[in-house]
Amino acid sequence: MSVLSPTVFVVDDYAPLRSSISRLLRGAGFAVAAFASAEEFLAQYDSQTLGCLVLDLAMPAVNGLDLQRALAKAGSLLPIIFLTGEGDIPKAVQAMKNGASDFLTKPVSDEDLLAAISMAIKKDRALRWEQAELSEIRVRLATLTPREREVLEYVVTGKLNKQIAGDLGTVEQTVKVHRARVMQKMMVRSVAELVRLTQRCGINGR
Amino acid sequence: MSWITVVWSMNAAACLTLAGIYALVWFKQREDWAYLALSCNAVAGTVLTAFELALLRAQTTEQYGVILRWAQLPVWVLVVSLVVFVRLYLRAGQPWLGWSVCGARTLALILNFIFIPNLSYRQITSLKQVSWWGGETISVPVGVTNPWILVAQLSLVLLVIFFVDAALTAWRRGDRQRALVVGGALIFFSAIAIGQVVLVVWGIIQVPFLACFSYLGLVAAMGYQMSNDMLQRAQLTRQLQESEATLRDSKERIDLATKSAGLIVWTWDVARDEVWLSEEDRALLGFSQSEKLSAERVRSVVYSEDRQLLSQLVEHSLTTPEEVEGEYRIVRGDGSIRWMSRRGRVEFNGDGQPTWERGVLMDITKRKQAEEQFRLVVDAAPSAMIMVNAQGLITLVNTQVEAVFGYTRDELIGRPIEILVPERFKSHHVSDRHGYLGDAQARPMGAGRELFGRRKDGTEVPVEIGLNPIHTSEGLFVLASIIDISERKRAELEAAHHRNEMAHLSRVAMLGELSASIAHELNQPLSAILTNAQAAQRVLGNGADLAEIHDILNEIVSEDKRAAEVIRRLRLWLKKGEVQQHSLCCNEVVQDVLKLMRSDLINQKVAVDCELARSLPAVTGDSVQLQQVLLNLVVNACDAMADCNTPERRLLIRTGIENGPSAVVVSVTDRGGGIPEEKMKHIFEPFFSTKAKGMGLGLSVCHTIIGAHRGKLWVTNNADCGATFHFSLPIAASDKEVVITHNGIGL
Repeated sequence: MSVLSPTVFVVDDYAPLRSSISRLLRGAGFAVAAFASAEEFLAQYDSQTLGCLVLDLAMPAVNGLDLQRALAKAGSLLPIIFLTGEGDIPKAVQAMKNGASDFLTKPVSDEDLLAAISMAIKKDRALRWEQAELSEIRVRLATLTPREREVLEYVVTGKLNKQIAGDLGTVEQTVKVHRARVMQKMMVRSVAELVRLTQRCGINGR
Repeated sequence: MSWITVVWSMNAAACLTLAGIYALVWFKQREDWAYLALSCNAVAGTVLTAFELALLRAQTTEQYGVILRWAQLPVWVLVVSLVVFVRLYLRAGQPWLGWSVCGARTLALILNFIFIPNLSYRQITSLKQVSWWGGETISVPVGVTNPWILVAQLSLVLLVIFFVDAALTAWRRGDRQRALVVGGALIFFSAIAIGQVVLVVWGIIQVPFLACFSYLGLVAAMGYQMSNDMLQRAQLTRQLQESEATLRDSKERIDLATKSAGLIVWTWDVARDEVWLSEEDRALLGFSQSEKLSAERVRSVVYSEDRQLLSQLVEHSLTTPEEVEGEYRIVRGDGSIRWMSRRGRVEFNGDGQPTWERGVLMDITKRKQAEEQFRLVVDAAPSAMIMVNAQGLITLVNTQVEAVFGYTRDELIGRPIEILVPERFKSHHVSDRHGYLGDAQARPMGAGRELFGRRKDGTEVPVEIGLNPIHTSEGLFVLASIIDISERKRAELEAAHHRNEMAHLSRVAMLGELSASIAHELNQPLSAILTNAQAAQRVLGNGADLAEIHDILNEIVSEDKRAAEVIRRLRLWLKKGEVQQHSLCCNEVVQDVLKLMRSDLINQKVAVDCELARSLPAVTGDSVQLQQVLLNLVVNACDAMADCNTPERRLLIRTGIENGPSAVVVSVTDRGGGIPEEKMKHIFEPFFSTKAKGMGLGLSVCHTIIGAHRGKLWVTNNADCGATFHFSLPIAASDKEVVITHNGIGL
């Protein structure tokens, strides 16, 4: 399965619906993988795959909400579109709180379903891009020495070299060298750029 | 005194003594003339002895002749009295011989007094003095024998013949001892006496007449026999007294028995028209002791209304040797009216004429009173009562029978019971009745069959019947008590209507609770149809893949059917109307309910385990109502497990056979909290609920439905946790291979 071509996972215990949805999505040009139960899906799911999950809320044994929880626990970011036969508002709220991408009521029109799927895939793609970026920044951060990391944390707060040197109990010239090395290792040209990167990684200045 | 005088006198005395004894005996028993004859005989013997002694002592021929002539007189008495004695005592001897003897002897006596000196001698020439032993001299006659003496001797010969004849007759008759002793002695001694006399008379031997000694022997022999007779008679008398005592004893016992049994023993001499009754019975019936009782007189104490009946009874009795029995009332001497049972048997003589009728009258008033009481009780009974005899004829009905069947009493008595059986059951009924009589046992009301009776107007009436065999002396009767249950049937129908109404309401309410689940059940196929249709549009847009379109359409059709099925079931579920009794399988009921509840169970995260018995016998019932029951139980079970952890929410539905095997049992086991003991007995009562939201009608409706199906609904707590609800339904008759082929009044 390609990382770039998205796959729609369908999990529904009701076979006719499973097959008709698969058919519809294939017709719309998606790659489809259908499963009759949550357990079956979990056994085969590869979290690297780009796509989304169309999930029936009411299923015997492990239901839709259970699967959502299980995936979250495993750190999966796979967007989930819930399908439900009833307007069960408490369950819908629960699902959305847990980060569901969408919540559709059966019978669902093809447009609604496809729109929701497109949105979810877009979201997944963006998420995956962001994830990739983040891990790149982390890699760069990992190359910094502890002193350089210390200097970075002072820099992103907007302090001058002189102030930093005072705080660290060193000379301005040394701070200047460290700052240049940080900028180089983090592959940024401006302090503003560095601030943006570090904020995404959740690093706050001192 | 010379010894001759002594000996002859002793002979005379002996004879006289015997004469006296016999005279005395005769005097005591006048009817026994033989003793008188014997007494006369002995007197004659005495006189003869005297004459013979005188002859021995006769001094002259004249004297001898005269004595001998007069000696003929006792001889005549002797002969005649012997004849008479033999006739009387041995009850034998030809009468003509007897008469001849007497005649000849009488002629001899007459001739004796015509001839001089006597019949023996024409002339006594001399008396020869013979010297005997002891120096005694006696006179022996010498003379010319009178030829007419032959007449006397003829009489003696005839006498011997008469004796012989009489002895033989007696012997042959079986009177052997008398024949031997009396007959033998008569023949023996008379022959000796006659021989000696003849020899003396004809002068062949010259000795005196010594007939008196022979005669003594004769009298002695006869005396011996007669004493013997007397002895026997005394014995007989003693025996008679003894047997009389025994007889009296047994008569007393019979009297006691008859009296205590209230029996009157009677005998009717038909020819003389005389009725014999005991003194006590005469008194009892109001007859005087002395009056002659004719049949008519006896009939006069019979209760006037029953006299005709008795006359017919007697008339019938006189035509048959069989025992004839009848019952009628009498008016006793004290004026009381008593019921009597008369049994009599007539004896007929050789000509076929009735001679005697003997029999008993038994007082059956008590029995009649009991019968009357029985009749009154039967009449007062609240249910209709009919008594039928072994032939199937109605013998007794009460007023209720008239009310139930519309017949009057008189229209039913004596008619076959089938008159009350509907036409369609009649043919069965006759054989059923015979079957019942073959093994008659009390049978309770109903006994599991719907029975019908037929009214006079031809309409049918639903009834319940209890049968009781009654064994009487007149044979087997069957008492049937019949209850008209049309009112009850109507009430039952009404109750069933209410029940169904209730069940329906309960179903509607339940459907409200299940609406989400049912909507889901409908939504699923509808969703599949919609999605499939939209998929088809896309497939067509992308250039038609016909195989794909084909699959899509197939799925649409099957999903549509599925939705239609849900709707059909829903419609059935909501349908209000008569209960449909069908043969159905409980496993299908379980599966139907699980389909209906599928999504509800999923939502509640309840797992269902089914243990359904294979080849379960069918039950008879309404499938919707049974589904309703099971659904109720499943919903309750789910509610009971609402607070359990998810893996604990397991439901077990089981089907099986019970009561070896007469019922199908369905059970629903949950793993909830169980039912508190104090709530156990109220759980099926209406408006009793353990749930916050519950109306408390579900289980009570279930209970009613199962009851209407002749089943049972009950609950038990499980050993570990939760409770199990069970319901049992009787296995359908067809599956038990019992075919009820008929009903009707089961007699």
